[in-house]
Amino acid sequence: MSLASISSRQQPAAQIELDETDHRIIALLRGDGRLPYRSIARELNLTEATVRARVRRLEESRTMRVVAVTDIEAAGYGMLLAIGVQVEDRSPEEVGRDMAAIPEVFSVNIVVGTQDLEILMVAEDQAALQGLLHEKLATMAGVRRLTPALAVNVLKNQPDWVPFHDPA
Amino acid sequence: MTRRSLDEIDRQIVAQLSTDARTSNRQIASDLGVTEGTVRARIKRMEEEKQIRITAVTNIDRFRNGSLAYIWIEVERSYQVREVASELARITELGFVGEMLGRSDILAITMVRSNEHLAEFVHQRISGLPGVRRTESTLGVNFVKHDYRMARIVS
Repeated sequence: MSLASISSRQQPAAQIELDETDHRIIALLRGDGRLPYRSIARELNLTEATVRARVRRLEESRTMRVVAVTDIEAAGYGMLLAIGVQVEDRSPEEVGRDMAAIPEVFSVNIVVGTQDLEILMVAEDQAALQGLLHEKLATMAGVRRLTPALAVNVLKNQPDWVPFHDPA
Repeated sequence: MTRRSLDEIDRQIVAQLSTDARTSNRQIASDLGVTEGTVRARIKRMEEEKQIRITAVTNIDRFRNGSLAYIWIEVERSYQVREVASELARITELGFVGEMLGRSDILAITMVRSNEHLAEFVHQRISGLPGVRRTESTLGVNFVKHDYRMARIVS
């Protein structure tokens, strides 16, 4: 195996050392992702070129991304569910990968206990929900039982521990 | 509270920003064939109306080899759901808090280092809250997906 293939994009974040300046740039961009390089430079007493280079390094090492996060309701999704999944004749990993391919399924976790997988899913309305539950998830190879819970009020959904995966 | 939905142009702007929000207004405008002023005004409006939030997300695990924990919470009396959920939403370590129908009253999700850490977190921060009757926790062993583009924008 060549070195090039070892350091392919599939690898988790390259381990770069972050110094105080990197952390301060990240903190400013957390507060406002559209903050101009010029303003960051002024704030931290750096040159604009340094800030640009730092941000590029953080992005290229897959340490940080500056993104637009959309409110699920504004995106047109009126419903959010937490669904426990029991699996048979197939591994939870395989079933989890298939579920992760569904755009409405925004979180997939393999767990131990009564359930084999815990997923979070959004749906536009009841009809869309029924379609997703009964036609996509329930009929998926390896799915034995689905145990859903419906969120009537999401007070918070803003984790700071997201893993990066390349959006389709 | 129903939030206004995004229209087609909003969605196209968000699609560009969702993978790289440092893209300039000029670039987005030229890609979509609209004016730079339109792009600027729409981003401003979407942020003000809390439809989107533009922020840095990091790939640094809060804990090395951390696991996701699902904590299901049952309240003593049903009228306490809102109050307990609001208290939970103030705990910074929790990335998700929802009032649920079905399986339990409230679902809270966090990242922990280990089983011991989960037990300690639940006992010290959750079990003692007024109104909490019992909790049931599940520890994740593998984090397959979490789409950071889907969120509940509250602040």
